[in-house]
Amino acid sequence: MDVPMRMPDLATTDSPVKVIRWLVDPGQPVMRGQPLMEVETDKAVMDLESVVTGVLSVASVQPGDEVMVGQVIAVFEAEGAAGPVTPPDGTGASKTPPQPPSAPTTGWLGRNAPVPTTKADASRVSFFARNRARREEPTRKRGLPLSIPQKTLARRMTLSQQTVPAFDLQISVNAGPMLARRAAASVGRPIAWDAFFVHAVGQALAKFPDLCHRYEDDRLVPHAVIAVNVAVDLGGDLFAVTVDRPEAKSIEAVSDEIRAGVARLDSGDPHARVTKRAVLTVSNLGSTGVEAFRAVINPPETAVLAVGRVGPAVVAVDGRAVVQNRVNLTLSVDHRVVNGKYAAGFLMAIARALEAIATHEGEPI
Amino acid sequence: MTNSAPPPDRLGRDFLVSLYERMVTIREFEEGVRFLFLEGAMPGTIHQCQGQEATAVGVCAALGAGDFITSTFRGHGHALAKGLSVEEVLFELFGATTGCCHGKGGSMHVGNMDRGMVAGIAIVAGGVPLAAGMALAFKMRKEPNVVACFFGDGAVAEGAFHEGVNLAAIWDLPVVYVCENNLYGASTRVDRVMRNPRISDRAAAYGIAGRTVDGNDVVAVYEAAKEAVADCKSGRGPVLLELLTYRLTGHSRRDACHYQPAEERQEWHGRDPIDRHGRRLIDEGLADQAALDRIRATVVTRFQAAVAEAKKQPQPTLADLTTDVFA
Repeated sequence: MDVPMRMPDLATTDSPVKVIRWLVDPGQPVMRGQPLMEVETDKAVMDLESVVTGVLSVASVQPGDEVMVGQVIAVFEAEGAAGPVTPPDGTGASKTPPQPPSAPTTGWLGRNAPVPTTKADASRVSFFARNRARREEPTRKRGLPLSIPQKTLARRMTLSQQTVPAFDLQISVNAGPMLARRAAASVGRPIAWDAFFVHAVGQALAKFPDLCHRYEDDRLVPHAVIAVNVAVDLGGDLFAVTVDRPEAKSIEAVSDEIRAGVARLDSGDPHARVTKRAVLTVSNLGSTGVEAFRAVINPPETAVLAVGRVGPAVVAVDGRAVVQNRVNLTLSVDHRVVNGKYAAGFLMAIARALEAIATHEGEPI
Repeated sequence: MTNSAPPPDRLGRDFLVSLYERMVTIREFEEGVRFLFLEGAMPGTIHQCQGQEATAVGVCAALGAGDFITSTFRGHGHALAKGLSVEEVLFELFGATTGCCHGKGGSMHVGNMDRGMVAGIAIVAGGVPLAAGMALAFKMRKEPNVVACFFGDGAVAEGAFHEGVNLAAIWDLPVVYVCENNLYGASTRVDRVMRNPRISDRAAAYGIAGRTVDGNDVVAVYEAAKEAVADCKSGRGPVLLELLTYRLTGHSRRDACHYQPAEERQEWHGRDPIDRHGRRLIDEGLADQAALDRIRATVVTRFQAAVAEAKKQPQPTLADLTTDVFA
């Protein structure tokens, strides 16, 4: 008979359990208590032991799968079924009535136990059985579970909104010089838009070193590295590409670095997915068409620069209305680190750096 | 190490066999529960005591019905050794109202005051001062009872240990402090956190008696506990007993136990308290293998029947929400 085995509750926080590798191949016999697979929980890598004595017929999960508690992980071909404990032979064990399958699929303990309809039956259903039934309701009722990066983001954003007193500054910048540089360099790959802002931020940070600190217990602690993060949205999960000391590099080099970082994230490299320390993040929603927005500081960073779309706008130049490509920047800053005037100087420095971009690399600014 | 001295004749065959049966009851209980957890039938995490059966059984065998024990989050063995039934402990683990704590304690808080066991105290070293308080009550009421307070090697580093043992010492309270030294406080080996890993030496600091005993020899544990209880009852308490033992399973069911070196595990498997006592019973002609197998089979049958019963036990209802609680 087929006996399924389900993922036991090995994790501590309702998070999924990851399959590392199978220790038994389909077709092989397995003893109850024998390690079946190696799994990784939110705490440790450990062996998962079989609850069935039989032959592994179906390996229902594969290495790399993130498995929820209660999900079927394997099906065994079992002769009858193993009871909770196998008594020694010839010692009266034969008097023991055969036990129900070790992983029952129906009944009181079964995951698929029907919800009782009468009141008398209802009192027999355990709290946990009801919880399990609830867990298996369609997700539209219970809400979609967050992915691990989404959970991290949710925690960090909440921490930011609850603990960081931020204020916002806004400015509109002439995007002409950026467009010219892109046009001039478009023989190879076009320069990533983010590169301009990261580079300009790097230059401005060099002139406004107070921003390179973070607030911690009534002290301003210098950031260990002068780096700028770029927020990257990959299929709904937010990650960051980190550029170290952007002011020391060319815009093209920063662009290459950002593109390489995005490619690493895309490849699923777990190391790339860890957000590295930076002074601030550049969040660019320009490609969506929004004009301006306010972003949330990612603690322990000090600020975040929100970049809107680059597009034509009418501006007054020397008393005349002129159509010009412009971009809106919104800087949010931790007020515990710097005051408004200082932050305004910093934002102006970013704007000046962007408007002073030379058409060709190496040209004096 | 795997050989144990012959038991004194005065202990008698029935008593020695009953120690074996009690230990097997605990082992089969824990092994059964382990699979119930893996099968998803048992909720929550579980702290098990496979390998440490002799400490619980040896100490509790030296206690009378009026004596009390305090336990820890690893309390299944203590409960079964103190005389709680397999059923009431198992039902508690299933969260049933018929469990020893009406389903409100669960695995970490099993206990039954009627059988002399305060519900398990899951705070590390939390039981040490409480045991002193219980013993103070005995002393003030002039009741001739003792408290055996179980804790692990990790508890010794807690402030509550010092405060509790010191109070018990200055007031000559009848407490047997039982340190189950299984070498690891969760995953940290004792020699990493103690310059002197012989815990019984600490007794001298409090001016009380301290002894280190082979905690995997149930008879040695019983003899030492009996002496300690006698000391307590004659006003020479408290006593610190250090029982050297080993956990043959993870700290909890979610612990992969990577920190126990394979050779060390192997070595301690060779000192399994049940195997050792079983061999001794056979060597002394007090039982044969068939008799020991019969004991195990009976225990297993009873456990399986208890599991079947446990699955049918009533679960708490909304009305139970406000019972057994203070606020």
